[in-house]
Amino acid sequence: MASSATKLPGKVLVALALAVVLDTVTHIAWKLAVAHLPEGETLAAVARTALASPLFLVAMVAFLAQFYNWMRVLEHADLSFAQPITALGYIAVLAISARALHEPVSATRIAGVALILAGVYFISRTPHRTTALAP
Amino acid sequence: MTPTLTGLMLVAAAAAVESFAQIFLKIGAAGGPGILMPPFRHHAMRLPAGTSGLLWLSLGILAYLAEIFLYTLALYFLDVSVAFPMGSLCFIGIALLSKWVLGETVGRTRWLGIGCILGGTILVAL
Repeated sequence: MASSATKLPGKVLVALALAVVLDTVTHIAWKLAVAHLPEGETLAAVARTALASPLFLVAMVAFLAQFYNWMRVLEHADLSFAQPITALGYIAVLAISARALHEPVSATRIAGVALILAGVYFISRTPHRTTALAP
Repeated sequence: MTPTLTGLMLVAAAAAVESFAQIFLKIGAAGGPGILMPPFRHHAMRLPAGTSGLLWLSLGILAYLAEIFLYTLALYFLDVSVAFPMGSLCFIGIALLSKWVLGETVGRTRWLGIGCILGGTILVAL
Protein backbone atom coordinates (compact mmCIF):
# COMPACT_ATOMS: atom_id res chain seq x y z
CA MET A 1 0.00 0.00 0.00
CA ALA A 2 2.95 2.28 0.51
CA SER A 3 3.65 4.53 -2.40
CA SER A 4 6.19 6.87 -0.90
CA ALA A 5 6.70 10.43 -2.04
CA THR A 6 10.20 11.67 -1.36
CA LYS A 7 10.26 15.08 -3.04
CA LEU A 8 8.21 17.68 -1.22
CA PRO A 9 5.99 19.45 -3.77
CA GLY A 10 6.17 23.26 -3.80
CA LYS A 11 2.51 23.65 -2.86
CA VAL A 12 2.94 21.46 0.24
CA LEU A 13 6.05 23.39 1.24
CA VAL A 14 4.21 26.71 0.85
CA ALA A 15 1.18 25.41 2.78
CA LEU A 16 3.43 24.13 5.60
CA ALA A 17 5.24 27.48 5.78
CA LEU A 18 1.88 29.25 5.82
CA ALA A 19 0.71 26.93 8.62
CA VAL A 20 3.68 27.98 10.76
CA VAL A 21 3.10 31.69 9.99
CA LEU A 22 -0.65 31.55 10.70
CA ASP A 23 -0.08 29.55 13.90
CA THR A 24 2.40 32.18 15.06
CA VAL A 25 0.07 35.08 14.21
CA THR A 26 -2.77 33.37 16.11
CA HIS A 27 -0.61 32.82 19.20
CA ILE A 28 0.89 36.30 19.29
CA ALA A 29 -2.41 38.09 18.62
CA TRP A 30 -4.13 35.95 21.26
CA LYS A 31 -1.36 36.59 23.77
CA LEU A 32 -1.51 40.38 23.22
CA ALA A 33 -5.31 40.44 23.27
CA VAL A 34 -5.46 38.54 26.59
CA ALA A 35 -2.85 40.91 28.07
CA HIS A 36 -5.16 43.86 27.33
CA LEU A 37 -8.29 42.37 28.93
CA PRO A 38 -9.61 44.16 32.02
CA GLU A 39 -9.13 42.46 35.38
CA GLY A 40 -11.78 42.11 38.06
CA GLU A 41 -14.67 42.64 35.60
CA THR A 42 -17.67 40.40 34.99
CA LEU A 43 -17.40 37.65 32.39
CA ALA A 44 -19.83 39.54 30.13
CA ALA A 45 -17.71 42.70 30.32
CA VAL A 46 -14.55 40.73 29.52
CA ALA A 47 -16.31 39.06 26.57
CA ARG A 48 -17.52 42.46 25.25
CA THR A 49 -14.01 43.89 25.48
CA ALA A 50 -12.56 40.82 23.78
CA LEU A 51 -15.03 40.93 20.89
CA ALA A 52 -14.35 44.63 20.36
CA SER A 53 -10.60 44.09 20.30
CA PRO A 54 -8.95 44.13 16.84
CA LEU A 55 -6.32 41.73 18.21
CA PHE A 56 -8.98 39.12 18.95
CA LEU A 57 -10.34 39.64 15.45
CA VAL A 58 -6.86 39.09 14.01
CA ALA A 59 -6.47 35.93 16.13
CA MET A 60 -9.85 34.58 14.95
CA VAL A 61 -9.24 35.32 11.27
CA ALA A 62 -5.75 33.76 11.48
CA PHE A 63 -7.21 30.72 13.26
CA LEU A 64 -9.87 30.18 10.57
CA ALA A 65 -7.33 30.69 7.78
CA GLN A 66 -5.04 28.22 9.54
CA PHE A 67 -7.84 25.65 9.68
CA TYR A 68 -8.50 25.93 5.93
CA ASN A 69 -4.79 25.83 5.15
CA TRP A 70 -4.23 22.83 7.45
CA MET A 71 -6.88 20.86 5.56
CA ARG A 72 -4.91 21.49 2.35
CA VAL A 73 -1.70 20.30 4.01
CA LEU A 74 -3.37 17.11 5.23
CA GLU A 75 -4.71 16.36 1.75
CA HIS A 76 -1.16 15.98 0.47
CA ALA A 77 1.10 15.02 3.37
CA ASP A 78 1.29 12.43 6.15
CA LEU A 79 -0.09 13.68 9.46
CA SER A 80 3.01 12.30 11.22
CA PHE A 81 5.14 14.33 8.77
CA ALA A 82 3.28 17.65 8.76
CA GLN A 83 2.19 18.04 12.38
CA PRO A 84 5.63 17.94 14.08
CA ILE A 85 6.92 20.52 11.56
CA THR A 86 4.43 23.04 12.97
CA ALA A 87 6.67 23.07 16.07
CA LEU A 88 8.63 25.70 14.14
CA GLY A 89 5.85 28.01 15.31
CA TYR A 90 7.23 27.71 18.88
CA ILE A 91 10.49 29.21 17.64
CA ALA A 92 8.71 32.03 15.83
CA VAL A 93 6.61 32.83 18.92
CA LEU A 94 9.75 32.77 21.10
CA ALA A 95 11.63 35.09 18.69
CA ILE A 96 8.76 37.57 18.45
CA SER A 97 8.12 37.46 22.21
CA ALA A 98 11.80 38.17 22.83
CA ARG A 99 11.95 41.04 20.34
CA ALA A 100 8.56 42.69 20.70
CA LEU A 101 7.55 41.74 24.24
CA HIS A 102 11.11 41.80 25.66
CA GLU A 103 10.80 38.33 27.17
CA PRO A 104 14.16 36.80 28.23
CA VAL A 105 15.86 34.20 26.02
CA SER A 106 18.06 31.93 28.14
CA ALA A 107 20.76 29.52 26.97
CA THR A 108 18.36 26.66 27.75
CA ARG A 109 15.77 28.11 25.40
CA ILE A 110 18.37 28.52 22.66
CA ALA A 111 19.30 24.84 23.12
CA GLY A 112 15.58 24.01 22.81
CA VAL A 113 15.35 25.97 19.57
CA ALA A 114 18.37 24.06 18.22
CA LEU A 115 16.77 20.73 19.14
CA ILE A 116 13.48 21.69 17.46
CA LEU A 117 15.35 22.73 14.31
CA ALA A 118 17.25 19.42 14.34
CA GLY A 119 13.97 17.54 14.75
CA VAL A 120 12.35 19.35 11.82
CA TYR A 121 15.44 18.64 9.73
CA PHE A 122 15.22 14.90 10.49
CA ILE A 123 11.53 14.82 9.64
CA SER A 124 12.12 16.72 6.39
CA ARG A 125 14.49 13.90 5.38
CA THR A 126 11.59 11.42 5.39
CA PRO A 127 9.00 11.01 2.59
CA HIS A 128 6.15 13.49 3.02
CA ARG A 129 3.60 10.82 2.05
CA THR A 130 3.90 7.12 2.78
CA THR A 131 0.36 6.00 2.03
CA ALA A 132 -1.67 5.95 -1.15
CA LEU A 133 -4.13 8.80 -1.68
CA ALA A 134 -7.69 8.04 -0.61
CA PRO A 135 -9.71 6.12 -3.22
CA MET B 1 -6.11 13.76 44.34
CA THR B 2 -3.61 16.64 44.52
CA PRO B 3 -4.07 19.71 42.26
CA THR B 4 -0.82 18.89 40.47
CA LEU B 5 -1.92 15.35 39.68
CA THR B 6 -5.30 16.66 38.49
CA GLY B 7 -3.50 19.12 36.23
CA LEU B 8 -1.16 16.44 34.86
CA MET B 9 -4.10 14.16 34.09
CA LEU B 10 -5.95 17.00 32.36
CA VAL B 11 -2.94 17.82 30.16
CA ALA B 12 -2.48 14.15 29.29
CA ALA B 13 -6.19 13.96 28.40
CA ALA B 14 -5.87 17.13 26.30
CA ALA B 15 -2.90 15.64 24.41
CA ALA B 16 -4.85 12.43 23.77
CA VAL B 17 -7.92 14.33 22.57
CA GLU B 18 -5.79 16.50 20.26
CA SER B 19 -4.22 13.37 18.77
CA PHE B 20 -7.68 12.05 17.89
CA ALA B 21 -8.77 15.50 16.65
CA GLN B 22 -5.91 15.51 14.16
CA ILE B 23 -6.76 11.99 12.99
CA PHE B 24 -10.39 13.03 12.43
CA LEU B 25 -9.29 16.13 10.50
CA LYS B 26 -6.98 14.00 8.36
CA ILE B 27 -9.89 11.66 7.52
CA GLY B 28 -12.04 14.70 6.76
CA ALA B 29 -9.35 16.21 4.51
CA ALA B 30 -9.17 12.90 2.63
CA GLY B 31 -12.94 13.00 2.06
CA GLY B 32 -13.82 10.03 4.24
CA PRO B 33 -12.53 6.92 6.01
CA GLY B 34 -11.11 5.35 2.84
CA ILE B 35 -7.61 6.19 4.08
CA LEU B 36 -8.02 4.18 7.30
CA MET B 37 -6.40 0.80 7.82
CA PRO B 38 -8.81 -2.07 7.00
CA PRO B 39 -10.23 -2.94 10.45
CA PHE B 40 -10.78 0.73 11.34
CA ARG B 41 -12.15 1.53 7.87
CA HIS B 42 -14.71 -1.24 8.22
CA HIS B 43 -15.91 0.05 11.59
CA ALA B 44 -15.90 3.71 10.48
CA MET B 45 -18.01 2.98 7.41
CA ARG B 46 -20.67 1.31 9.55
CA LEU B 47 -21.25 4.56 11.47
CA PRO B 48 -24.27 6.65 10.42
CA ALA B 49 -22.91 9.02 7.71
CA GLY B 50 -19.51 7.41 8.36
CA THR B 51 -18.46 7.74 4.72
CA SER B 52 -19.00 11.51 4.72
CA GLY B 53 -15.90 13.67 5.03
CA LEU B 54 -18.04 16.37 6.66
CA LEU B 55 -18.81 14.10 9.63
CA TRP B 56 -15.09 13.59 10.29
CA LEU B 57 -14.33 17.29 9.92
CA SER B 58 -17.08 18.05 12.45
CA LEU B 59 -15.73 15.41 14.84
CA GLY B 60 -12.26 16.92 14.45
CA ILE B 61 -13.51 20.41 15.27
CA LEU B 62 -15.49 19.14 18.30
CA ALA B 63 -12.47 17.21 19.58
CA TYR B 64 -10.29 20.27 19.05
CA LEU B 65 -12.69 22.44 21.08
CA ALA B 66 -12.70 19.78 23.83
CA GLU B 67 -8.89 19.85 23.81
CA ILE B 68 -8.85 23.65 24.24
CA PHE B 69 -11.27 23.30 27.18
CA LEU B 70 -9.21 20.56 28.87
CA TYR B 71 -5.93 22.42 28.38
CA THR B 72 -7.38 25.69 29.71
CA LEU B 73 -8.72 23.80 32.74
CA ALA B 74 -5.31 22.21 33.28
CA LEU B 75 -3.73 25.67 33.46
CA TYR B 76 -5.71 26.33 36.65
CA PHE B 77 -3.76 23.53 38.34
CA LEU B 78 -0.39 23.65 36.60
CA ASP B 79 2.23 26.20 35.69
CA VAL B 80 2.56 26.84 31.94
CA SER B 81 6.20 25.69 32.10
CA VAL B 82 4.91 22.21 33.05
CA ALA B 83 1.73 22.15 30.95
CA PHE B 84 3.33 23.36 27.70
CA PRO B 85 5.93 20.59 27.24
CA MET B 86 3.48 17.97 28.49
CA GLY B 87 1.03 19.16 25.85
CA SER B 88 3.69 18.32 23.29
CA LEU B 89 3.09 14.66 24.14
CA CYS B 90 0.49 14.88 21.38
CA PHE B 91 3.40 14.61 18.92
CA ILE B 92 3.89 11.05 20.15
CA GLY B 93 0.16 10.30 20.23
CA ILE B 94 -0.29 11.59 16.68
CA ALA B 95 2.67 9.60 15.38
CA LEU B 96 1.40 6.39 17.00
CA LEU B 97 -2.17 6.87 15.75
CA SER B 98 -0.92 7.82 12.27
CA LYS B 99 1.01 4.56 12.17
CA TRP B 100 -1.70 2.29 13.59
CA VAL B 101 -4.88 3.88 12.26
CA LEU B 102 -3.76 5.54 9.02
CA GLY B 103 -0.99 3.09 8.12
CA GLU B 104 1.67 5.80 7.75
CA THR B 105 5.28 4.68 7.85
CA VAL B 106 6.89 6.20 10.91
CA GLY B 107 10.48 5.07 10.64
CA ARG B 108 13.52 5.66 12.81
CA THR B 109 14.38 9.04 11.27
CA ARG B 110 10.88 10.40 11.80
CA TRP B 111 10.87 9.15 15.42
CA LEU B 112 14.28 10.78 15.93
CA GLY B 113 12.85 14.05 14.62
CA ILE B 114 9.80 13.79 16.89
CA GLY B 115 12.05 13.01 19.88
CA CYS B 116 14.24 16.06 19.17
CA ILE B 117 11.17 18.30 18.84
CA LEU B 118 9.73 16.98 22.10
CA GLY B 119 13.05 17.59 23.89
CA GLY B 120 13.24 21.03 22.31
CA THR B 121 9.79 22.08 23.49
CA ILE B 122 10.67 20.99 27.04
CA LEU B 123 13.82 23.14 26.98
CA VAL B 124 11.98 26.11 25.46
CA ALA B 125 9.41 25.97 28.27
CA LEU B 126 11.99 25.82 31.12
